[in-house]
Amino acid sequence: MSNLSNLVPLEALDRRAVLKQIALGAAAAGTVEMAEAQHVHEATAAEKAKGAYKVKEFTAAEFKTLGRLAQLIVPADDVSASALEAGAPEFIDLLSSQNAKLAEIFHGGLAWLDAEMNRRYEKSFVNATEKQQTEMLDALVAADKVERTRLTEEAGYRKSGRYNDFTNYTVARAGSLGPGVKFFDWCRRMTVDAFYTSPIGIKDIGFVGNGAYTKYETPQAAIDYAMKRSPFKA
Amino acid sequence: MPQIPRTTEEYDAVIIGSGAGGGTAAHVLTAKGLKVALLEAGPMLDPYKEFKEHQWPYDVPHRGADEGGAEYFGKGKPFGYFSTTSGGWELEGEPYTVGEGSQFTWFRSRIVGGRTNHYGRMSFRFSEYDFKPYSKDGLGFDWPISYSDIAPYYDKAETFIGIAGSRDGIPSCPDGLFHTPPPPRVHELLVKKSCDNLGIACVANRRAVITKPLNGRAACHYCGQCGRGCQTASAYSSSQVQVFPAMKTGLCKVLDMAMAREVLTNGNGKATGVLYVDKRTREHKIVRGKTVILAASACESSRILMNSKSKEFPNGLANGSGMLGRYLMDTVGFGLSGYVPALEGMPHYNTDGYGGAHLFMPWWMWDKHNKLDFPRGYHIEIGGGYGMPGIGSFQGAARRYGYGAEMKKQARLAYGCNVGFAGRGEMIPNIHSYTEIDNNVVDQWGIPVLKFHFKWTDYEWKQARHMEKTFADIITGMGGRVTGLSAAQREADGISIPGSIIHEVGTARMGASAKTSVLNGYCQTHEVKNVFVMDGGSFVSNPDKNPTLTINALAWRACDYLAEELRRGNV
Repeated sequence: MSNLSNLVPLEALDRRAVLKQIALGAAAAGTVEMAEAQHVHEATAAEKAKGAYKVKEFTAAEFKTLGRLAQLIVPADDVSASALEAGAPEFIDLLSSQNAKLAEIFHGGLAWLDAEMNRRYEKSFVNATEKQQTEMLDALVAADKVERTRLTEEAGYRKSGRYNDFTNYTVARAGSLGPGVKFFDWCRRMTVDAFYTSPIGIKDIGFVGNGAYTKYETPQAAIDYAMKRSPFKA
Repeated sequence: MPQIPRTTEEYDAVIIGSGAGGGTAAHVLTAKGLKVALLEAGPMLDPYKEFKEHQWPYDVPHRGADEGGAEYFGKGKPFGYFSTTSGGWELEGEPYTVGEGSQFTWFRSRIVGGRTNHYGRMSFRFSEYDFKPYSKDGLGFDWPISYSDIAPYYDKAETFIGIAGSRDGIPSCPDGLFHTPPPPRVHELLVKKSCDNLGIACVANRRAVITKPLNGRAACHYCGQCGRGCQTASAYSSSQVQVFPAMKTGLCKVLDMAMAREVLTNGNGKATGVLYVDKRTREHKIVRGKTVILAASACESSRILMNSKSKEFPNGLANGSGMLGRYLMDTVGFGLSGYVPALEGMPHYNTDGYGGAHLFMPWWMWDKHNKLDFPRGYHIEIGGGYGMPGIGSFQGAARRYGYGAEMKKQARLAYGCNVGFAGRGEMIPNIHSYTEIDNNVVDQWGIPVLKFHFKWTDYEWKQARHMEKTFADIITGMGGRVTGLSAAQREADGISIPGSIIHEVGTARMGASAKTSVLNGYCQTHEVKNVFVMDGGSFVSNPDKNPTLTINALAWRACDYLAEELRRGNV
């Protein structure tokens, strides 16, 4: 990351001056003077110190299963921690506590998962070995791919266009894994979202924006890198 | 029957709507010392409370999925939780209907500043030929004005609003008075190289964002979040740049939560004011004015005029021609994305910039129509870069790679390697696309609602197919591969849903003859001299340029005319 000499570190901005200006600026004022027109950056520096999260919707066992799923879906590696540390179970619990439809999807799905694990391995999901857990998830991913291919084809022939509601899925071809496919899709999308919207995930992916600058520049090193790898080498 | 309360004050102008047209009218008229009342169907805007600029997704417990994960169910805000207060295609209690066999979706904002608080801020002048399309290819209709009539007002609007761009001498997209634009990002440089090889013009974008201070507004600080609203007003919005300063003069009275119902007339061919519903109390109220300016958005303004029925105007106000509601247009939209391996592993840098693309492609075949199977043209908008992660950003990687360590690795590798292209093209106005009052339905304010009819024709479908091929050529030219829609999906959904591009214009078009048009070249109704329409309703055609800048310029010109006519006692 070169060439960012024009960066104004957010910490350098005098927040009090900004807040004062904004307090003076009534709704009707609209604009603020340039000299003080720096931003209120809400909690940009660091994640707020979190107290212990109080689980709202799920049982202790359900919440633990969500945590294990978070560790498997976005695992820790040499770059960053897992989705568990990034708060995925808390995210799913909070939204489920606000939405009966979502709660139903997760209560039902988690129960289905344990029932299926018991049928296969005579163990609940969290008590199974990692190999058994990933076998289960691999089966769901495989069934999901088959199902998705079919849905994509079908979508093309439906003129309706926008499709927003996952609960309208038909899972006819997924066989006995049908309910699991639907649940895993929800669990994965929300776990992945929780991870990449957390400070851990944002750092992992390498997003370096959301700042205030006096000038915009594109680093020459990045231009050279991409040009060399493109068809426009010259 | 108790009398409806009315203002004692008779304003020089009553303006309905506070967006691009209404905001411009409020600014221009108060600058001339005229007193105006500005009606807005939504609440007052407080940028410091409502603009979610610079928030991180983790600043809110739901991370942007909204309460109860509404985003997951398609019930969140249209452009995501962090976008600014802006209304949507469906408003609670304010329905509209769509005729059988038609598809149309109607976006409405209900807040001071309207859609200018969040819009894309692309600011392109119409070209000379855009005002005379019928003369050029025999389709549609010519405007009663020419480029030379509006050019001085493009100058005024650009100077006041502030547009960053570069002067490129391209006849299809005339140069304006610009602030210095920011340099292109890496993916945009690749796009430009690919366009160079294909003979497609690719130049600095033109957006209503200032890159040097202007009238107390700060220069852009390159956070790229214009869609969330800009607290420093570096990105133009009519609320911050026009309405709030107009209020400061003491000459502009804003009546918020005021849903205009009809324009009132005196039986002698003149308007006397506006009857509106105060949404806070559900009371009917009257605001009196020497002139009335409708700027409620194209269709909403026509709705008000059509609902303004009297003995004198049985078909609605200014509708003697029967043209009110006719020739509704939206922009032709089509999008395609691609994956560019050359960008894999690039050292990450900040791609926020001034929001939106730093380059764009103006229509490059304006003089080569003999080589095409469709009339008119389109411009191309570019997407890409290392965007701020949000809800849904990594769904693609998750589905492709299942889960686990490999998925995490692939998400990292693919981040920032996608480019997207959106075509924005011109439709030909047609008789199947119009709006009318649905006599069977009223909204929660008791006002009869609009019924929409809309059809794309072969002209538009063929243009969309040309977009598709062009975008695929650009992507493969960069060494990339096309992702996104399958062939079957394109066949079904290969063109935007009418209304979804939110460039709906027309329905009160201007023209030389009172027999075939609603307005004259000054946005004044042919029939009622003190009634004007200053939003997109006046458009005779809908060129491949986003409409806002032209709405600003037309409104400015109309206000100069209105003020002079008022002074002379002609209106």
